[in-house]
Amino acid sequence: MCLVLFQKGFNFSQDGPGNRLVIHLQGCNLQCPWCANPEGMESRLEKCRGVDHFKRWSVEVGELLKEAVDCRPMYFSGGGVTVTGGEPTMQFEPLKEFLRGLKAVGINTAMETNATSPRLPELFQHIDFLMTDLKHYDSKKHCEATGSGNETVIRNIKAAVESGKRIAIRIPLINGFNASDSDISGFTDFLSGLDKELFTVEFLRYHEFGKDKWAKCGLEYKIENGFVSADTVNAFIKAFETEGIKIVRT
Amino acid sequence: MSNYYAVNPDRVTELAKSLFQRERSLDRLDGWFFIKEIQMRCDEMFNGVTPELKSAMTLLEIAKELPLDIPTDAVFAGTQRDAFARSYALINPSFRVETFSGYCDPTAVFNDIEPSDDITTDRIAAVRAYNKDSAYVKALDEVYSKHEKFTDEVVFFVEQVTGHLIPDMRGLLATGVNAAIAKLEAKIATETDPVRKTNFEAMKLSLSAALILAERYAEIAEDMSKNCSPEDAERFSLMARTLRVVPANGARNLYEAIQSYVLLWMVMCIEQTPNPFAFSVGNADRIFEPYRRAENLSREATAALLKHFLVFFNVGDRSWAISQNIIVSGRDERGADLTNGTTYALLDAFYDMNLPQPILSVKLHKNTPDTLYSELGRFFFTPGCLTPSLFNDDSLYAVLSKSGVDTEDLKDISIAGCQEPLIMGKDNGNTTNSWLNLGKILELTLSDGVSTLSGKRIFPSDGIISASERLKNIRELFYKNVERYAAEMADAANDASKAVSLLPVPFLSTVMGGIESGYDVRDTVHQGTKYNGSGCLIHGLTVVSDSFVAIDCLLKDRPQDADRLIRALSTNFQNDGEFRQYLLSCPKFGNFDKTADSEAAEVANRVADIVSSLKNYLGNPFRVDFSTPSTHLLYGYLVGATPDGRKARDMLNYGVDPLYGDAHNGLGYRTLSVFALPFEKMNGGYASHYGIDPNYFKGATMEDKGLEFKERVIAPLFFNPEGPPVSPFYLYVNVTTAETLRKVLAEPKKYAPSGVYIMRIHGTFVNFLDLSPAIQNDIITRLDPQSTFL
Repeated sequence: MCLVLFQKGFNFSQDGPGNRLVIHLQGCNLQCPWCANPEGMESRLEKCRGVDHFKRWSVEVGELLKEAVDCRPMYFSGGGVTVTGGEPTMQFEPLKEFLRGLKAVGINTAMETNATSPRLPELFQHIDFLMTDLKHYDSKKHCEATGSGNETVIRNIKAAVESGKRIAIRIPLINGFNASDSDISGFTDFLSGLDKELFTVEFLRYHEFGKDKWAKCGLEYKIENGFVSADTVNAFIKAFETEGIKIVRT
Repeated sequence: MSNYYAVNPDRVTELAKSLFQRERSLDRLDGWFFIKEIQMRCDEMFNGVTPELKSAMTLLEIAKELPLDIPTDAVFAGTQRDAFARSYALINPSFRVETFSGYCDPTAVFNDIEPSDDITTDRIAAVRAYNKDSAYVKALDEVYSKHEKFTDEVVFFVEQVTGHLIPDMRGLLATGVNAAIAKLEAKIATETDPVRKTNFEAMKLSLSAALILAERYAEIAEDMSKNCSPEDAERFSLMARTLRVVPANGARNLYEAIQSYVLLWMVMCIEQTPNPFAFSVGNADRIFEPYRRAENLSREATAALLKHFLVFFNVGDRSWAISQNIIVSGRDERGADLTNGTTYALLDAFYDMNLPQPILSVKLHKNTPDTLYSELGRFFFTPGCLTPSLFNDDSLYAVLSKSGVDTEDLKDISIAGCQEPLIMGKDNGNTTNSWLNLGKILELTLSDGVSTLSGKRIFPSDGIISASERLKNIRELFYKNVERYAAEMADAANDASKAVSLLPVPFLSTVMGGIESGYDVRDTVHQGTKYNGSGCLIHGLTVVSDSFVAIDCLLKDRPQDADRLIRALSTNFQNDGEFRQYLLSCPKFGNFDKTADSEAAEVANRVADIVSSLKNYLGNPFRVDFSTPSTHLLYGYLVGATPDGRKARDMLNYGVDPLYGDAHNGLGYRTLSVFALPFEKMNGGYASHYGIDPNYFKGATMEDKGLEFKERVIAPLFFNPEGPPVSPFYLYVNVTTAETLRKVLAEPKKYAPSGVYIMRIHGTFVNFLDLSPAIQNDIITRLDPQSTFL
């Protein structure tokens, strides 16, 4: 069984605790127009061959596991392996095998997901730290922007919190999409219903670090002004903290 | 000590800064030439005495005759200015990589002095001619003539080593020169061996040079105290009184200890005029701490005095006395930390002064306190500030212990010059004695002995005609050549050491164990120091290992292209860019690719074994040093295209690092690759550099960032519990980006208003703005962000 990757490397504390080997798996079911890794959207390896700008390659799960074990010296400060994308659950079976293998040898695991996979809870037992997007509290708006509603996302976040899993919810703040004053209560209404001791929230301010890659992929970058001010972010933080929700800043 | 220095640290600092500015304004260094003239005269005057005694007697004459002065802003008397010429290539604006010559001509220094009304062309010519005709220069000429075939395009290179040692001044500081003279007199009285007896006499005489200088300086200081403001009068009176105490007697406080040290250092350098580069201090914090503690001097006042100590190491307009190393911190044999009050004061002095010299090194270990890392943060994260070289003392203990150093000496591991570990006061490592160019040997092995650059035959033909056969057997052929030409290199290096032994150094010998051994440091028949070896700097490690990997790939993927490879190398890939791209795409060291990393380890292991099996003039092993002090540029310029895809005349890889551009998966993978290398065999040292983007560190303060730097860079590399048995032990960093440096070059007045923007090249730091363009470019190129992203 193989996993298809489009990037890998070490990162410190931004993709889970400590220093982590971050593995980007190819393919995503969403089409978020602000995506920083548009090269990871395409699911099928064959279709991507011949694209000069970006590499993607297929690796046997066993081989990747061996590499992850060999990388142990670099998992300092509580680090380990983080699987991200694209959307990792697009390669569900090999992903599950990989995560199970990592846990079997005692490597700390983390996963970053858009939480749209109905099978996500199957992976909980193999994940030490789950990072999940909550792009919008409103399913219709979620669907308009990403091509998919948020019902499964909501269900998975609830399930993750109820399972006692350590979970970090990430909200990308994007002007014109989810960053108005009225959106604050939309998010807090949902999150306040969860056990606040079991999750944290991190706001990811809109950026355009990936904008150039869209052109290289032959895609049109459609967001015109997604930036949010520091005041907006602070307003979100203040409101969330007032609700007793723990905020993480990285 | 006078209360003056304890209560006026701000004034002392002000004086140090103005003293440095005064030194930077000196665009002539003539003292060394006067010394050469005195030496010439003394050769005749002392004709017939033994070389050791002649050296000592000459030193006394120099101490008597050398013009002396004390700058008005000085706190200590003494300078090393007169031992140095404006010579050092890398900070010489006229330096060009293309003009490097594989020859160390001791008379070339006479090109570095501009004639003046006083120092006329005729005077210069006379001294040059005299030196050209000396036994020392003739002996060296013979070495180079004999081996010219190999040194011309640098299959190897050899040099006579001057400087590059770490004296142990602690005894002289504690009990004074008079006590050492008394000890020598007792030895002379009882010694029956004529050689040792003469040596003791020479050492005794040479020590008197320090006393002569002290008295002459005391008189000057006394005169100066008579015609100045009351504040200055107090300063110069104290100086005069102090010079009548030290170095003759033991120092009683920090001020006396530093004054004593400065004068002793001055004599040591004068003895080797001109250009005894890379003499190094050793653990300055431990040397001076007893004196600071004796009077419980504050951190601020200690730092202020040490600022003058640091200015002393800067010579002339470009700080020409390069590579003088000061190390701090470290551990004892039980692993306990030895950081002390002087350590932090010295760091304050370095940071506040931010001078191009001397070099700061720090020994770290598992028990290094976080406070030290916090205090180092400001060095790494202040743009244009000097950054310390970092050493893993735990690994150094393991490496040097395996190499035969006694346990009780390990706490005195220090760094001579750039990164070479030696035992302070006990170790003559001849650190830069020989230089082996693996890249050139590979080129010549592939071309059947003919240089692809000059067309000259350098190695004899091996008789192999088929390219395919040559490639299949490349390792065997290569290592055979390494063995053969390393042996030739050792012969040449030993002959160079014998040449320099014609110039004994009795004063230096007194602080290198000579008072105990009775032999000169440079003696090639009797061992004058407790430890002795000869250094071999090995170049081109990963260029060669990546080349072997590329050849393997070629033979597997496209065996029909064996001839094409040989042809492409000889034409520098002209009209065959596609083939070069194929070679570049083969696995490269630095990306945690098992094939490439194992090959680098294998080359390092085998070459280290070959080098350490070579014997020096005393029968001691050569020491393995994988460092390339900017010579990765110079020697790379003399190496043709290589099978890893590197083009002819391009640089070789730096130290044990991947060739720039070859590692592109960030610092994590690069560190894992590095773990494959056999550091336990690198007893002569090695070099490695990380160019790190400061934006990866998010701490709110410099101290926080210092701790982050420990957690994310140092601890994973040096103290990794899952790392190799002997972990890496050296690293230097430039925490900046190429973009920043380009801005500094484009607008120096905006980004470096003081005219000083410190960067590191190899083990030394330099004013980036003083560097020749080639070296500026090298720094920018090797920042190589893809190899170090976090």
